[in-house]
Parts: sequence; C-alpha cells; structure tokens
Amino acid sequence: MGGLPSPQKTDQEKMIERGMESCTFKAVLACVGGFVLGGAFGVFTAGIDTNVGFDPKDPLKTPTAREVLKDMGQRGMSYAKNFAIVGAMFSCTECIIESHRGKSDWKNAVYSGCVTGGAIGLRAGLKAGVLGCGGFAAFSAAIEYYLR
Amino acid sequence: MDPMKAQQLAAELEVEMMADMYNRMTNACHRKCVPPHYKEAELSKGEAVCLDRCVAKYLDLHERLGRKLTELSVQDEEMMRKAAVSTG
Repeated sequence: MGGLPSPQKTDQEKMIERGMESCTFKAVLACVGGFVLGGAFGVFTAGIDTNVGFDPKDPLKTPTAREVLKDMGQRGMSYAKNFAIVGAMFSCTECIIESHRGKSDWKNAVYSGCVTGGAIGLRAGLKAGVLGCGGFAAFSAAIEYYLR
Repeated sequence: MDPMKAQQLAAELEVEMMADMYNRMTNACHRKCVPPHYKEAELSKGEAVCLDRCVAKYLDLHERLGRKLTELSVQDEEMMRKAAVSTG
C-alpha cells in the first residue's frame, strides 16, 4: 500500500510540522513580521518628514538630535504596532477561512481582507467599515493576482 | 485443511479489498480536494483539511455500507434457507 517507499517521519517531526501549519503560528509570524516591517516603514517615513521633532509649545525652536530621534522612534513604534495588529488579524482570519472552506484559492485572501478592513474601519462607524472592507479586499485581490 | 484454507482465502480477499479501497479512496479524494494547479510541492492548509475530511467521510461511509450489506446478505441467506427447508 502507498506509493513509492519513503522514510517514516518521526513523531517529533510530525508534531513540529503540525505546529508550523497551525493558525496560531501563522498569526504570530505575521505579527512579528508586521512589527518589523512597520517599524522600518515608520522610521523611514519619519526620516523624510520635515515635521519630526516639532515642539508645539515653541514652534521656532530647532529640535535637538535627541528629540528628533525620540520622535522618530515613537512614530516607528506606532506604525510597527499598527502593522503588527493588521498583519496578525489578516493572517489569522485567512487561516481560519481557509480551514473552514477546505480550499486554497484567491478568495480566502479577499474574504479575510474584507473582514480585517471591516474590523478596522468599524471603529469609525458603519460606512467606514464598509469602505475598509471593500478597500482592503481589493488590495488583497490585487496582491493575490500578482502572486498567482 | 479446509478451515485453514478458508481462513487463508478470507485473509487474502480482505487484503485485496483493503488495497482496492485504499486506491479508490486516494483517487476520489485527490480528484475532489487537490485542484491541478501545481504551483508548490507541499499541501496547503486548505487542501490538508479537505483531505482529512474526505478520508474520514470515505471510511465512515465504507463501514456503514459494509454493515448494511452484511445485514442484507444475512437476511437473504435466511430467506433462502427457509425456502429450502420449506420445499425440501
């Protein structure tokens, strides 16, 4: 029975593989990746922004290097947290939807994009939720089209 | 030697039946769950989930149908024996 003879996988290997395929691992991976990417993106955006280190109490004072660096760090951290949350939510919902449907095609990304965008936009009202759903779903569809 | 030969025959039939079932199950579940877009070598999560479900359903169905068929065949045998007894 079975096809060509292949070496049996040990129990540990099977456990590790099952862990790596699980939804929580993928969500954690997306969270960490999003954090790093968001931090880099935030620091880069802060670098080309002329408003960094701006002190609202004294608008004419040129900020010191330390203040500028601190502001850049804060902005990078805020972007990083946002990207991490969005990445984790998207990855988690996509994994759950794929497990539920039992198929892997481009529709999983579109549905989970709608859910993620809707969840993010819903904090600002229903219309923003619907717009977020549509926008994020379109973005995910474009990326899936590019990847497949 | 008759009971032993009968046992051996039954065992051989069972092995053949199992092998046939395995082949059919593999073909059916592969056709249903793995679309022919071979972009990567590993099974994706959706396909793995689909295969788990397909195998579970197939085995469940196989067991139930087997039980039902043995019930029907036992009934048939009894009817035939009664008919033989009543005519003989």
